[in-house]
Amino acid sequence: MRVRLSAILAAAALGGCAPAPSPAPAGPPARIVSLAPSITEVVYALGAGEQLVGVCAQCDYPPAVASVPRVGGYLVPSVEVTLARRPDLVIAAPSPGNREAVRAIERAGVRVLVVHDRTLADLWASIRAVAGALGTPAAGERLVADVTARLGEVHARVADLPPRRVLVIVGHRPLVAVGRGTLQDELLTMAGGVNVAADAGQVWPTLTLELVVARAPEVIVDAAMGSEAGARELFAGLTTVPAVQNGRVVMLADETLLRAGPRVPEAAAALARAIHPEAFAG
Amino acid sequence: MTVRPPHLTAGRLVTATSVLALLLAATLVATSLVGPVHVSLARALAGPESTDAVILFRTRLPRVLLGAVVGGSLAAAGAALQALLGNPLACPHLLGISGGAAVAGVLALVAGADAVSPVVPLAAFAGALGAIAIVALGARAGGRTTPHAVLLVGVVFNALAAAALMLVNALASYTQAQGVLFWIMGSLSTQSYGLIAGVMLYSLVGLGWLGFHAQDLNLLAAGEEGAQQLGVEVERTRRAVFLAASLLVGAAVSVSGMIGFVGLIVPHLLRLVLGPDQRLLLPASFLGGAIFLAWADTLARTLLGPVELPVGVVTALTGGPFFLYLLRRHLRRALA
Repeated sequence: MRVRLSAILAAAALGGCAPAPSPAPAGPPARIVSLAPSITEVVYALGAGEQLVGVCAQCDYPPAVASVPRVGGYLVPSVEVTLARRPDLVIAAPSPGNREAVRAIERAGVRVLVVHDRTLADLWASIRAVAGALGTPAAGERLVADVTARLGEVHARVADLPPRRVLVIVGHRPLVAVGRGTLQDELLTMAGGVNVAADAGQVWPTLTLELVVARAPEVIVDAAMGSEAGARELFAGLTTVPAVQNGRVVMLADETLLRAGPRVPEAAAALARAIHPEAFAG
Repeated sequence: MTVRPPHLTAGRLVTATSVLALLLAATLVATSLVGPVHVSLARALAGPESTDAVILFRTRLPRVLLGAVVGGSLAAAGAALQALLGNPLACPHLLGISGGAAVAGVLALVAGADAVSPVVPLAAFAGALGAIAIVALGARAGGRTTPHAVLLVGVVFNALAAAALMLVNALASYTQAQGVLFWIMGSLSTQSYGLIAGVMLYSLVGLGWLGFHAQDLNLLAAGEEGAQQLGVEVERTRRAVFLAASLLVGAAVSVSGMIGFVGLIVPHLLRLVLGPDQRLLLPASFLGGAIFLAWADTLARTLLGPVELPVGVVTALTGGPFFLYLLRRHLRRALA
């Protein structure tokens, strides 16, 4: 685990692993449309928030973004509303429904940058690609270094503690957990946890309740948008599960946990607090 | 489907239902012992606070029981609706009752109810009642409710409900969208014993109510005029059967979402074997549906190891081909 973690951090530090498509730059863009919440956060963190002339309906951070016009949903952006904003750069992350829309925007002659937002490696690549497109590669390197350092600080607090067995759930009924290959799994590892659903073979596995009993997690992080009473009801009676025995079912309905953006250190810290509260006492 | 089944005698009724009841009992025991995690019954019985006992009695058994009662309710309702509407394609999900339940359940989720709280099944049940009222009133004209009208209004209402679900799905957040999928695909997540007992009691009352009208349904199926001459109050019987079947469907859907194929296939399958007499077909469908769904869910929760499949996928993939095979055999025999 330690090896995997240092590999992630090393990849971030070394950089250059980003196969970012960079169309011929025609000067730094002045009018940008972002089609994903994670991208919007990256653009603001790079100090280019002023240039955003359109964002997706789910883009809700930082607060300043509230006044930026919407160009459709993250899953289905509107081609014509996007074009009506007369952008000189549209940045998109692949979603199940936006492929054709993004292509249409590109065909209309607008410069399009596609970045991925599923893992930490995606985040480093995305920061560098966006910074490159903005003509400020140095700012990109600074942001990567800053986010990496803050992730390292979180990890340092729990690095010497024995890792705890953790189940992170994102849905109650059906019971959907965080599997391997996700940003959440990576952050969980940094926060001093071992994902008990990592071997399920799927990115977002739907689990049978009895599996929770069999895997006996020490901490259950409930990232579903449910209520505390709901979580209690769901796991009531599973008295052999250490997390239930010790009252360690922690609600963490935090948007940052679902977003591969510059706020991943906050998400990691929230996870670390849930998994190792003793490291944050006092 | 013109092969004459043997005449229904008390002996046949008792034999067939007893055999099915025994099969159901065996199914409940067997499917409780199968799961992604290996559990020892001996260890579970020896230690009530052991992991084995917790898995067996607090996560697996309630789910098996829930599957049985949902499967039974859907199949019995399907059998009654097929006879009532005189349409072999009639199934519990066709009349919009499930759709109404799903829309109300999803709205409760979006309004902030937790997926686990009893508010959601209650809302779904209210939605089912609303759909029943709309379909029953919409299909009524001049004091008469024809099967044809019920079917048409049901189909239209179902399409409306499906559109409403898609609309909510399009507007809901990513995490809420998962809750919508539950209603569309159906799922048998573990529920509390209290809720299961409630649904079970309710289903048995619904089944009894249907059984009370079984003979009238038989006569109706033979022809409306003939039935009337034999003293069947056609309009009242139709209304009663429609209501009883709808209430069964509403209860099942409110705790499991839309699980397809059980209500369509199980009654047909048993009709091929046991004949169309509703006095036998109704209880047999209940038992058969319970057996079928308990096994289908066992496949759903074990096939991929720790990861669960949507049970509706399993019911369709196993029930569909088997049904086609039986139907082919039956048609060939009928021609020979």
